[in-house]
Amino acid sequence: MVGENYLAILKQGIINLDFDAVKKAAQDAMDAGMDPSTAITEGMVPGMAIVGDKFESGEYFLSELVVAGEVMREGVEIINPYIKSDDSSKSEKVKAVLASVEGDNHDLGKNIVGTLLGVQGFEVIDLGMDVTADVIVDAVRKHKPAVLGLSALLTMTMPKMGDVIEALKAAGLRDKVKVIVGGTPVTDEFAESIGADHHAANALEGVQKCTEWAKAEERRN
Amino acid sequence: MAEMTRYERIMTASHKKLADKMPFFHYWRHSQVGWAERECRNRGMGMGWVRPPYIQKIHGGVEMTEKQVVSSGTNVLRRTYTTPVGSIWCDEKRGRGTEQWHALRSWDDISPWQTQRLIKTPEDYKVLKYMVENTEYIADYYPIEQAMDWLGDDGVVIDALPHSPMQMLMIDWIGSEGGRFYIHHAKYPDLVEELYEATSKNRQAMYEIAAKSPAPVTACGDNIDGVLVNPRLFEKYFMPEYEKEAKVLHEHGKLMYVHMDGRINNIKHLVAKTPIDIIEALHAPPMGDLPIGEALSLFKDKVIWTGYPGSVYTLGPEAVKTHALNLLRDVIPGERLVFQVSTENIVSNKNMRMLTSVLENATLPLTMDKIDEIERSLG
Repeated sequence: MVGENYLAILKQGIINLDFDAVKKAAQDAMDAGMDPSTAITEGMVPGMAIVGDKFESGEYFLSELVVAGEVMREGVEIINPYIKSDDSSKSEKVKAVLASVEGDNHDLGKNIVGTLLGVQGFEVIDLGMDVTADVIVDAVRKHKPAVLGLSALLTMTMPKMGDVIEALKAAGLRDKVKVIVGGTPVTDEFAESIGADHHAANALEGVQKCTEWAKAEERRN
Repeated sequence: MAEMTRYERIMTASHKKLADKMPFFHYWRHSQVGWAERECRNRGMGMGWVRPPYIQKIHGGVEMTEKQVVSSGTNVLRRTYTTPVGSIWCDEKRGRGTEQWHALRSWDDISPWQTQRLIKTPEDYKVLKYMVENTEYIADYYPIEQAMDWLGDDGVVIDALPHSPMQMLMIDWIGSEGGRFYIHHAKYPDLVEELYEATSKNRQAMYEIAAKSPAPVTACGDNIDGVLVNPRLFEKYFMPEYEKEAKVLHEHGKLMYVHMDGRINNIKHLVAKTPIDIIEALHAPPMGDLPIGEALSLFKDKVIWTGYPGSVYTLGPEAVKTHALNLLRDVIPGERLVFQVSTENIVSNKNMRMLTSVLENATLPLTMDKIDEIERSLG
């Protein structure tokens, strides 16, 4: 009963974008001995899912989505030290590598995708902004992600997405990873022209596509 | 009737009257001087020049220093402001060619990017507020008069003002990376509001300077995208500022434009209520989400200077032709519209020539037959 209370507060705190409530509930739950993974997956993640629904229905805007992600991040930060290092759940996660391509210093869309992928159970490896093709290829080689998400906001940097795909081909990695591209100037035609697997019309649609891929991958395995 | 000059075309359309042909121009900052640019200009392409009508001085014992530093493995320019109430700093990354040609734009036509913003912590707000309250704007019309003299009838000179107060916070001071502005707005609402109010108050003098400048149009900064500037933010922080700004500009017969190159479908009804004269840089789909024809129908008292989508340019001249012809069909009879070759970046010679080929014969009023004829002439 007490545990359910913490979960409800965590969930509602995320929905209400309440930093203080979530941080306090996270600490209280850990002090009370709650399983850290339960606090995250049964408290915060359902809250974040409702925020996503509200965003999709137009009740919440991007700003709320971002803030909810930050509220959750701060809550998880409190819980993280309580997660035992032998927790095996992490190794089972599907991986996604994300990057804003070289020359592009925009990351808002990419970060939202990262937050939502995390909610969907992905392990997200975020390489940041202005990332060169060779760094991205190295990350794909090292982490073996199911998904590579590339973001660009500038028409001048869009072609770098194509460079990354060419570099993946050259490294023999192109058929090992699904490539999804996004950003305001990116279109279906452009994505097709560079050989991407998908153009994300927005963060939610992109995350849905990644989830579909991950499920298909699970079925294959 | 004599053919209109490029200036007359742009301004006739901007005053909601019918020009002889569809006005189109390229911004100086994105134009590449050369044979294709000369050819396009000879074929009717005008030029737009955006310059500030003011200089600013910061008083109150504020000192600014700049030095090169390495931050996260990258060479950046660190600018530090020291004031009696504390210090703040920002880092700026500059591309190749910065300060070597078009002002601060790099060879790739990208302006410097702040990798660290002036506001990082709650303590930084009071310092920036102090700076804002001690900033004086002084009229300086020399750059406007010089550009008008040089350009003559070949295009239009526009006053450049910075982003409006809340967008200064969103883009310039706090920044949107990682959603930082939204997070600050949620965590420190009072600090955000106070800085916004101080900036808004300080801006009045700048608007009065712009109103008296000889340029016929004033660019009111901003970079509006309805996804980032959601309806609540737009209504609360942007519309009142536009009202204030327009009141001063309109008293002096000036036109006011706001750069809205993003997705504005979700704020279109609010935009319609603003006193803005020109919706500048509005991009048709696929980059924008509001078709130009629909925008013209909705914004009956406004003019659109449409920005040609960079994503279409990436697909080459044939795509440019198809998109431009479709756009013309969408806006028949072609009133209250000006084409901007690009509001973002340099355009390749072949794309610029193709767009010119479509627009140079777009006599107004447009009809379906005229557009079909343009299409046939291009093969």
